[in-house]
Parts: sequence; C-alpha cells; structure tokens
Amino acid sequence: MIRIENLSVAFDGPEVVKNVSLEIGDGEILGVVGESGCGKSVTALTLMGLSPRTARVTSGRILYDDVTLLEAGKPRDEALYRRYQGARMSMVFQEPMTSLNPTQRVGRQVEETLRLHTKLTSQERKEKVLETFRAVGLKGEEIVYRSYPHQLSGGMRQRVMIAMAVILHPGLLVADEPTTALDVTVQNQIISLLGEINKKQKNAMLFITHDLNLARRLCSRVAVMKDGRIVETGETEQIFEHPVQEYTRQLIQAVPSRLKERKREKGPRENGRGYAAPVVKVQDLSVYYQEGSNSLFGRKKRRCVVKGADFELYAGESLGLVGESGCGKTTLSRAVLGMIRDIDGSVVHNTLRPQMIFQDPYGSLNPAKTVGWLLQEPLRARGAIDASLALSKEEMEEAAYDMLRRVGLEACYFHRRPSQLSGGQRQRISIAQALITNPGFIVADEPVSALDVTVQAQIMELLRNFQQEMKLACLFISHDINVVYKMCDRIMVMKDGRIIESGDTQEIFASPREEYTRQLLIGS
Amino acid sequence: MPAHVTKKRNKYLTAGLIMTGTAVLLGILAFFWTPWSTTAMSASERFAAPSFRHLFGTDNFGRDIFSRVMKGMGTSVMISALVVLLSASVGIFLGALTGYFGGVLDEIVMRVTDAVNGFPSILLALVVISVLGTGRQNLILSLGIVFSPSYIRIVRSEYLRLRDADYIKRARLMGVGKGRILFVHILPNILPVFWVSVMIGLNNAILAESGMSYLGIGVQPPDASLGNMLSDAQGYLQTAPWYALAPGLAIVWIVLGFSLFSEGIRRLGE
Repeated sequence: MIRIENLSVAFDGPEVVKNVSLEIGDGEILGVVGESGCGKSVTALTLMGLSPRTARVTSGRILYDDVTLLEAGKPRDEALYRRYQGARMSMVFQEPMTSLNPTQRVGRQVEETLRLHTKLTSQERKEKVLETFRAVGLKGEEIVYRSYPHQLSGGMRQRVMIAMAVILHPGLLVADEPTTALDVTVQNQIISLLGEINKKQKNAMLFITHDLNLARRLCSRVAVMKDGRIVETGETEQIFEHPVQEYTRQLIQAVPSRLKERKREKGPRENGRGYAAPVVKVQDLSVYYQEGSNSLFGRKKRRCVVKGADFELYAGESLGLVGESGCGKTTLSRAVLGMIRDIDGSVVHNTLRPQMIFQDPYGSLNPAKTVGWLLQEPLRARGAIDASLALSKEEMEEAAYDMLRRVGLEACYFHRRPSQLSGGQRQRISIAQALITNPGFIVADEPVSALDVTVQAQIMELLRNFQQEMKLACLFISHDINVVYKMCDRIMVMKDGRIIESGDTQEIFASPREEYTRQLLIGS
Repeated sequence: MPAHVTKKRNKYLTAGLIMTGTAVLLGILAFFWTPWSTTAMSASERFAAPSFRHLFGTDNFGRDIFSRVMKGMGTSVMISALVVLLSASVGIFLGALTGYFGGVLDEIVMRVTDAVNGFPSILLALVVISVLGTGRQNLILSLGIVFSPSYIRIVRSEYLRLRDADYIKRARLMGVGKGRILFVHILPNILPVFWVSVMIGLNNAILAESGMSYLGIGVQPPDASLGNMLSDAQGYLQTAPWYALAPGLAIVWIVLGFSLFSEGIRRLGE
C-alpha cells in the first residue's frame, strides 16, 4: 500500500507538483495521465527517491506500508531508500536503450539486483534470472542472458528492464511511459505483460503515460494531472465515460479514436475519380539504399528498402501510410519526393514542388532565422527559379502575415525565432512554410507524433482544413493507426518494404484482409 | 534569448574585453602616434631604466621600449588578424563545400589537411617562408596555410552535421539554390562554434607570429615586433631585465585577454 499525501515539489522556481495525493493498493494499477510538463514524472521520481538534488519537497509525505519514506522539511533518508529501491520498489523507464549499460551483458545487469539484495549463490542467481526472463516472455533466455543490449530489439530490451524490475517481487512498480519508444504491436505485448505481472505478483503499480488509450486498457483507476495538480481521479471507466472536469473531457475528446463517429463528407476520390488526373502516380517503385563502407575505395552494397510500390493520389485526398518503424515508409515518401534518386519504376508528379512536414518540430525550422524570414523563404526560392512568379518585398511580407494568421498565430510571432515557440506553434509554422506556395501535394511524416494530445488534435484539425481549402493531396505517414483513421480517406499498410494491403479507411478498419493489419488494429 | 541570461554578469567577457581592448587600441594608436619614435636611436640614452620619461626604459640602441611595445602589439595583432581572416575564409569555403557535398573533393581536401597537420606547424611555416622569402605578406601567407586545416575541419564537421537536418531537407524541397543553402541557411547556425575557434585561432596566431619573428623570419628589424624585441633582449637579460620583460608581458597580456574573451563568448552562447 502506497500513500502520497499532499506532496508538493519545487525546483528553483515555483512548485511543479502541487498538493498531490494518491493511494495505490496492493494489486492495483493506478494510471497517472497528463500532457508533457504536467508533473507526472516528477511525482514518480520523487516517490522513487530518484528526483535530482535541486528538487525540494515543500509539503506532504510519502508512506510505504505505514513507513514514512519521505517527509517535507526533512532531508531524504538515502540509507532507507537504498534498502527499498530495487527490493521493494522498482521502476521501468521509457527508453530501454539508455537504461541498460551498453558495455555489460544483460544477464549480469539483471543479476546485479540479486547480488545487492539477496544471499543467493551465483548458480542460484543465474537460475532465478533465467526463470524471470521466461516469465517476462523472453524466448531463448540463455542467449538473451549472454547478449549485450545492442543485440536485442527495443521490445526485448524493455522486457529485460521489466525482468530487472520485478525479479524481487517489489511491492511497488513504477512504469514511466514504458511503451512510448516502442512499435504498436510490441507496445501491445508489453502492456499485456505488465497486466499479467500485476495479477501474479499483486504489487501496487503506478503507470505513467500521456496515452489515454493505454491507461484505459491497463489501469483500474486513473488520476488526471494538469499543471502539477490532480484535477480528477476515479475508476477508469467512470473517468472515461463520465468525466466531471472540463480538462478531462478535453483530453478524452482530443484522443483520436475510431470509436467516435466520423463526420466527413464523401472523400474527393469518389467525386473526382475517372476524369481528374492523379496528382501523384507511383508505378512499381523500388527504392535502394547504398550501404556499408563510406570510404573512397570501399565497396558499397545496394539494399532494396521498398519493393514494388504502386499507388495514385488525387487532389484533395489524403492517403495514410502505416507500418512499424523500419518498414520503409519514410524511405518510400522520400523517394516519392525525389530526395532519393536510386530507384526503379516511376513517380509522376502533377505538381511543381511538393513539400514535406516532419515529425520533430524542433528540427524542422532553421533556428537562426525569424518566423517571418522562414515563411518568406519558399516564396523567394520560387521567385529565384521562375522570375514570372517573383513577388515584391511587400507582397511577400503580406503573404507571410496572411499565412501566419491562417495557421492561427498572431502577427507578433512574425519577428520571433523558433526557439521562442512551443512545439505546437513550431509545427504550425512548419505547416505554414510548407503550404505558403500552395504546393498541391505534401508528405506529412508523423506530423503529430511528437505533440501532446490536445495540441495533436488542433494540428490535425488545421491540416484537414487546409486540405479542403487548397484541394491538397496528402501522403500521411504514421505509426498511430487512430491518427490515420481520423485523417485519411484511404490507407496503405506497409511491412518489410512492401505494401501488403490498401483500401478505403472504413473498409480496412471494418474487415482487414491481412493478419498483420489485424495485429496493428488490435495494438491501438 | 530570455532576459535573465543577458542580465547575468559575464566576468570573462568583461575582463577579456578590457584586456584585448587596451592592447588593440594601443596597437592601432601606434600606427599614428607613439610617445617616442620607434626607430630613432640615441647613444646617450642606452639601457635607461624605466622612468616617467621612458615608461619601460630604453634598449641597446637607446630606443623607447614602451613605444616599440605599442608598435609591436599593433603589428602582432594586425598580422594575426589577417592570418585568421585568411585561414578562416579558406576554412569556411572549403569546409562548407567538403562537408556538404562530400565525395572526391572531400577526400582530396581531407588528405591534404592530414598532410599539413602531419608536420609541426612552425616547421612547416619555416619551409614556406624559406621558399617564398621573408616579409610580412609571406609571413601572413605561410601562417595562413598552416592554420587553415583546423578551420576546414571544424566547419566541415558542422556542415556534415547540419546537411541532413530536417530544415535543410525542407529548404532543398523548396528549391532553394545550393549556394544559398550553404551560406544563408547553414552558415548562421555554425557561427557560435566558429567564433570561439576564431578567438582561439587569434591567440595561436599571435604566439606563432611572435615565434617566427623571434626566430628572425617574421617581421624584420628595424620594425618593431614583440618577437624580435624578445630575441634582441635575450643578450641583455642580466644588465637590462626590463628590456625582455616588457614585450614578454605584452604577449601574456594579449593572449590572456583573448582567451578570457573567447571563454566569455562561449558562455554567452550557452
């Protein structure tokens, strides 16, 4: 039984966690959901005694089975925490690659916990590690035991992390976004695994996530956090079906879900097909990568990353491209845009300069320039290529201001730099920059994956509006099947470089033909 | 930049600015006016000790050491500035091309810089001077050649890092020309790194220039330079210690000033 009472935590400035009270019973999974910066991770780290030294507990206390672990005004009792950490409380982090030591075999790393907290012999320790590996679903446990972290896949690494965390049957398990870095199908397995472990070991589990769908599937109770406070807490179904607070309602509504009714008029394909020429026509496209030696005399290998892709895209239509990381979807999109030249087959464009929107809002705007400069650059470039399209200085400035307004930002942002904008604002600027020349066709590569759910919803709304206004054809890449469902008229499913299934969104969701597609759908 | 960062005192920058500022100002002033002539000899005033008449004393020809140090600082700073200007320009141009485009040009330039780096820098400069002959232009040219590889490498690695940035990919999609991508889109983003290396380069150039002049292959007498003053003073360390002390302290003053200044700039960038 874990009790957090009135906990407040501050770093240098104001409190980032304010009067948070939580209770987790044994065998219970409590979900803490909220957007980035809401204080959920700080709460978890404080609970685990892992918060940085600069963090001060300004009020409240933390109880573990009636033992006071931490109290405001007193320094953290490191000796007490050391006895609890690992043995009675443990944590699974988001990024399995950086949580494991890359220079040590994983078996040894998991054994470390046993060496510190038990008196088992080395033979017994190994037995126990192998047994736990089996329990967390790691096949070939002997081989895993001898592997280094980089030899394992992301999912396997996360299983190793979980094995490490649960090997001593801790009374408290904290999982901080444990599946965020993983592919959907793997995500699914890890969530099931956490549920199983909780049933078997009867530990109190704190599950921290920004993904409401995951919280809903795993947790019995949910606490919603905003700006360091708990705004609402209750039984999971209660919260999702009848949220009391406005913020909770917003959050739930922002989550793209195919359970919700889709309000959309008929797709442009149904109207436009037959007489309109496709904006993009891709025929039997294979894409190759040069691999291996970078040196002058080294021999290069040519690897086929995309095999025989065939599709057409019409004006105003958005086509979803889904698949797990490494399946070749980004490569395919680059080839369609002509950024990769080593291809077989043909790509025919009907538009002049198709643009691209990237996932990372921090990397896609030049940090040395102002927003106004960034918005005018596509116009300058167009003018430099084709003098008949060149605009005067005033015209360009006016167009930039106009675009700024259309993406929902005030004129005062014109002179700001990207570093002064939030992630959502940057993504708005990215979209504005891509669309200011009215390109007719854009590729959006995971444009909302790095954003919080409420921001995600706004950006998707913005993109849809632009699509309708500008009759824009859009190739929409995502690993999040729910986002694709909301955005796209048609879907292509990609696996190992091949498009294995394609069709209308509704049809594919209703009756997927391929087993792989079915798995992707279950995963979300 | 948020307001609180700029408000924070940057003592490195202040101290560096004051030290380099005085050195540079005195140096520039020396080209127009010095308290005494830097070349006029006076047999009656040989080895005068420091006094109000001659602040740093006089040398073996009775020339005013303070005036010569001023002129020497001016010469040293000007030569090093030109050396850095030359090598940094070469560095930006070649570094940008090799880093962004790669390929055969990159291989060739990199192997040449490897070769240049393979020799001790002073030795290589000596060789260049012995081929071209002594003189200011040749000194600047030879030091410029020796200093270029480090700039090429720094600029190249930054271009290599940034050429695949998402915003550069987008610029290419917009149809922005290659030259504009290189020097308008990428260049401003490498300036913070670049300025720091320029400041360090200035330091090294001053030391190198003084070293060359000390060896007698840099600035030629009767022109004053910190290096050739040191070399002249060597023989009179026992009888007139102030003669060596003045140019020596001047070198320390400039070099320390530049390093404080560059550290200040680095902290400003953070």
